[in-house]
Amino acid sequence: MAYYDGLFDSLGLRDWCDQNAQDAPTSMAALLGQLSGKGEDSADGPLPFPSLDALHESCAQIPQTRDMTAGVENTFLAARESLKMVLDPITQPLSWMLDGALWLFTATPWFVMVPLLVALTWFVARSVAVTLFVAGSFLFLGFIDHLDVALQTLSIIFVCTGLSVALGVPIGIAMSRSNALQRAVVPVLDLLQTLPTFVYLIPLIFLFSVTESKLYGIAIILYAIVPVIRLTDLGIRLVDRDVIEAADAFGMTKRQKLWGVQLPLALPNIMAGVNQTIMMSLAMVVIASLVSAPGLGVLVLRGIRNLELGVGIIAGVGIVLLAVILDRASKAALSRIDKNTKVQ
Amino acid sequence: MNFRILTAGLCLSAGMSASAAYAECGEVSITEMDWASSAVVTSVANFLMTQGYGCEVAVVPTTTVPAMTSVAETGQPDILTELWTSYTEVYEELVAEGKLVELSKVLSDGGVEAWWIPRYLAEEHPELKTLEGIKANPGLVGGLFHDCPSGWGCDVTNFNNFKAAGLADAGVERFQHGSGETLATAIAAAYEAKEPWFGYYWAPTSVLGKYPMVQVEMPPYDEEIHTCNGLEDCATPGLSAYPTSNVVTAVTTTFSEREPEVAEMLSKLSFTNAQMGEVLAWQESNNASYEEAAVYFLTNYKDTWSGWLNDAAKDNLSALLK
Repeated sequence: MAYYDGLFDSLGLRDWCDQNAQDAPTSMAALLGQLSGKGEDSADGPLPFPSLDALHESCAQIPQTRDMTAGVENTFLAARESLKMVLDPITQPLSWMLDGALWLFTATPWFVMVPLLVALTWFVARSVAVTLFVAGSFLFLGFIDHLDVALQTLSIIFVCTGLSVALGVPIGIAMSRSNALQRAVVPVLDLLQTLPTFVYLIPLIFLFSVTESKLYGIAIILYAIVPVIRLTDLGIRLVDRDVIEAADAFGMTKRQKLWGVQLPLALPNIMAGVNQTIMMSLAMVVIASLVSAPGLGVLVLRGIRNLELGVGIIAGVGIVLLAVILDRASKAALSRIDKNTKVQ
Repeated sequence: MNFRILTAGLCLSAGMSASAAYAECGEVSITEMDWASSAVVTSVANFLMTQGYGCEVAVVPTTTVPAMTSVAETGQPDILTELWTSYTEVYEELVAEGKLVELSKVLSDGGVEAWWIPRYLAEEHPELKTLEGIKANPGLVGGLFHDCPSGWGCDVTNFNNFKAAGLADAGVERFQHGSGETLATAIAAAYEAKEPWFGYYWAPTSVLGKYPMVQVEMPPYDEEIHTCNGLEDCATPGLSAYPTSNVVTAVTTTFSEREPEVAEMLSKLSFTNAQMGEVLAWQESNNASYEEAAVYFLTNYKDTWSGWLNDAAKDNLSALLK
């Protein structure tokens, strides 16, 4: 006797309901009912929401919620082969890039790698203070024996932010030109920013081998690509209408307008997006290590698992240090571009 | 009054109903570790303590190390169950200090840690059940050894065993997973595609309950070798199987003094691996929750659990035991 028995009886569905009825898992409530000697009748409590489970109690033909979740799982497993055929080849270059960058960063001796990175900082930032800070940070990380893992993390960040920018800017440009596309893409971006990473990472293991580095590459890129898309779109849409009119008056083609007017004027916003993308990919470092990404994230996890607080804190500080380096360098580059655009 | 409490208890979960009929037992906190068998043990113990002994049970979701640390610092939670003691040195210290009392081996056969291959692979290539067979045909196991994540107790032991077995020279690569989730998913994914798999796992677990695996033969457990294998700088790693882990229920000393009756029951509460494996396999195949798995155990193994109770508790649960 359950709550919605009357409903199915009055609809004349009782026979349909009771065919193939079987005793699926008994619930704790049923056991307690048995204990108190009253059976499972609990019709004197408040009316439960007519959910699948509640309806199932009255009518065995109604699937339970767990049948729905099992259905989702089975659908995915059935589609596994075809998904694999499509997704595996197109994501394969990502694995090669991640492995290649990792090899490059770890195989190059430190006395080449560190000066190279410091020189790169000077090249993009042109700021003595930032360059000195970066050099000092690398020396510090090297001194406490964390340079190797920090460089591993850095190689992952470089590849993932590089790809995020290479994919994100064109998507942002396309969005800025079509309102329909913008309406379609924005919900997807919201989803990417909020969907818990493991929810899509674990299914991905069924498609690719766990040993593939693209697993964490995908996790980082899907999360970090969002700001650069949003800010590219915003930046181009914010370009002064008068300037566009002037460009039209000069008879510029669409392509000329994009490269000569819109992109240069939107550059500060795009760079702000790039800066945010770098920060968000660093935020994913520990999660990426849960799917076997090397680097500082592994040390953070070890610290948590073994309660080696020191290991965890030092590795965490290492990640923060990398974040500050990348942030200051990209901000310095941004302000340099800002100045240049103002002069023009 | 009594009637209203009873219906409230029916509508809410098991932990919520408290009745004045049995007042001896007060508030009790029990751990629930984040793996399947532990959740079942906790649910069963929760039901027996609540319904049989009238305790007010609070379930604390946690894992081994944080639970131990909490006991060391604050003396809470009262009951720690499904502790795999082989990796937790803190445990020995806490027992020696008199903060914890070991009550029983909650899995009477102990936990089995080993290197496994899927059963379909063992049937197809029986030679892979030995390390020699794997070394001769590394391609048949995918050339990969799935190892546990960095920071787990098995990490160093597997590393040294792997070195001693000479698997690297034979062309098997050691792949360290980032988390237990990906390790489990790797087994599931291999099973779905009937692909080769070779790696470390442990039983009883729902993963091994659902995906039958065959142990790779290892030389028998040797304490000296195993202890050395557990050290990061072991000079002479050798091959040794894992000892059977003691999987225990332990309670704080204050708890065993405060609630001797409940402690008595907990000291009898114990599952064989066959029972636990059956319950977990049922749970997997029915997509059931841990609580429902506990109900399955309570309905199907009445003879087992009625032996754990004292007379008063048997009276309270007599409706189920008829």
